Amino acid sequence: MSGTISVERAERETVINIKGRFNFEMHSQFRTAYQEDTSKGQKGRKFVIDLSGTEYIDSSALGMLLLLREEAGTNESDIEIVNAKPEIRKILETANFQRLFKIS
Amino acid sequence: MKILIVDDDRINSTILNRLLARDGHAVVIAHDGVEGVDVFRRENPDLVLMDIRMPQMNGYEAAREIKRLVANRFVPIIFLTAVTDEESLVQCIDAGGDDFLTKPFNRTILQAKIDAMERIRRLHGELRRQKEKVERHQEQLQQEMEVGQHLFAKIVSAGNLLDAPCLKRWTSPMSVFNGDLLVAAYNPAGGLHIMLGDFTGHGLSAAVGAMPLAEIFYEMTAQGFSLSELVEAMNAKLIAVMPTRMFCAACLIEVDFRQQSLMVWNGGLPDILVTDGAGRVVRRLISTRLPLGVTALTREDRKMEIMEMKPEHRVFLYSDGLIEAPNLGGEMFGLDRLMSHFNGQVNPEHIFDNILGSLRVFRGDADQSDDISLLEIDCSRAGEEPPGGVPRRSEKSLPPAPWEIAFSFDAGTLKNVDPLPTVINAVMSIQAPTGHRERLYTILAELLSNALDHGLLGLDTDMKKTPTGFIEYYNQREERLAVMESGFIRLSLIHEPVVSSTDGRRVGGAIRIRLQDSGPGFDFTRVQSKLEGNSGHGGRGIALIRSLCSELVYRGAGNQAEAVYRWTYQ
Repeated sequence: MSGTISVERAERETVINIKGRFNFEMHSQFRTAYQEDTSKGQKGRKFVIDLSGTEYIDSSALGMLLLLREEAGTNESDIEIVNAKPEIRKILETANFQRLFKIS
Repeated sequence: MKILIVDDDRINSTILNRLLARDGHAVVIAHDGVEGVDVFRRENPDLVLMDIRMPQMNGYEAAREIKRLVANRFVPIIFLTAVTDEESLVQCIDAGGDDFLTKPFNRTILQAKIDAMERIRRLHGELRRQKEKVERHQEQLQQEMEVGQHLFAKIVSAGNLLDAPCLKRWTSPMSVFNGDLLVAAYNPAGGLHIMLGDFTGHGLSAAVGAMPLAEIFYEMTAQGFSLSELVEAMNAKLIAVMPTRMFCAACLIEVDFRQQSLMVWNGGLPDILVTDGAGRVVRRLISTRLPLGVTALTREDRKMEIMEMKPEHRVFLYSDGLIEAPNLGGEMFGLDRLMSHFNGQVNPEHIFDNILGSLRVFRGDADQSDDISLLEIDCSRAGEEPPGGVPRRSEKSLPPAPWEIAFSFDAGTLKNVDPLPTVINAVMSIQAPTGHRERLYTILAELLSNALDHGLLGLDTDMKKTPTGFIEYYNQREERLAVMESGFIRLSLIHEPVVSSTDGRRVGGAIRIRLQDSGPGFDFTRVQSKLEGNSGHGGRGIALIRSLCSELVYRGAGNQAEAVYRWTYQ
């Protein structure tokens, strides 16, 4: 039982939509979703992780976000996590991920 | 392919024999059921063609017997039958038959059926080989797991003090290996260090990260490093060895019974709950830091939260596996169910067990999906030693020899490094006076903190007299240390062996500790007299040193101290 991922790509922005359960089973799906952009070594692309349809997030998913942050070039890239439900936002904030990502 | 024909009709068996031989099969023949089973045992054929009605033992019975003989191997049995009524055919299959062939025999059909059976037989053989391979791997994995488990248990629980009377713990690993790390140990000053860590994921990959952390935890705690330094070392270790997507949400706590204080560092664990005497939550220590192993730590990140410890306090910490534990319906245990135990209606002594009880009922037979840990610190028992006493490091004394070491720490160093573990470890590596580490640690800790806190930072010792004052003191200390620009502490340790007057053997030694700081000093006559009979919160430093040392004198403006510690060599 895991979630599904859909991706929308614009010129300078990639929106990754995660529906359902965002857990360790999503690892390769999530990676494929962003690697199309990160593998090109292009700088300055913005990533938006849309969690509006996400019901659950585990620590492996947090790890995947760290991986995206690293592969997207940590500081140069702009990663924003949007529309997280309160309980998911709480998990992100317990891990103090607001220090690494824009969470709105 | 070797084929066994069991048929009492010799004409039939001859026809079949010919047909099969022409296709290159080896054929063996039996004329009744009993002989059929015998020949089968002896010849071990790949396929059996079996008549039904035969003397001695009929085809059904013979088929059952043969199938029993080859329980682990697939040997197809094709019944030869003149009848085609459904009931007889069902009986064939019930007896273990795999197919049937109606008389008179048609060569093409016979060939086709044998080919089909051969395909199934091959597939079956392949499956069996794969199954054996999986079983072998399983076996190997099991053995490796056992070795790993042994190592893991030895490293993670080496000197673990989870049997400290003030601790209650429960942990339920999801698999053989626990990705939740639960460790506790005393530092040389008698403070209890406790850590709960929760690694990303669970099982082996999570447990692998637990091992270096456990080693750092025990080693640095025994050497007298502070929690801040433990956090720094663990974080650096995880960044160095773990893949980016792995980290460790962790909480470190120091229970300081002498100062009646708790120091807490929470990076990524759920809120730590502190309850009062009625079992109500009076304080939450929320996660204010990133988990270990994510980014390099700043000075701010290493800072502890300090709170007053009261005997009625209980501290509860848990890994997120507790609130995320699912029941059979996929619903999570949840924060509300957990918090319902802290409604002030329950004897706080029972909260721990009640939480576990309600978790058990809630989960029912649902599979565990993460490691779960729950820990309670009962502050009323913080001063009690574990049943076996506090284990001391076994260190072998070296024969007393004359030596001298000198240190000089400037402001820049003191800002970032606690000199105490360095000094004590230098002494232990040169002389290692067995059983004296803790006393030397206490003396040096008091002398150094007097020099730094009062001499360089100008903190008022009177502040420490009350628990709330102690917290204020600690916070002011942090602030002043951060902006300190100049100053120094010089420390020298001179060791002289003590020689027996009767036989001239070296029977011990005296360590002369000289300490000087750049501060303005203090009126030591006043402070010393004030300390008489003072056993309160702070300010006991000098009295404590005096009780452990054979001499203690202050010189100059009070910014020079000299103490002598004597030990006996065994």
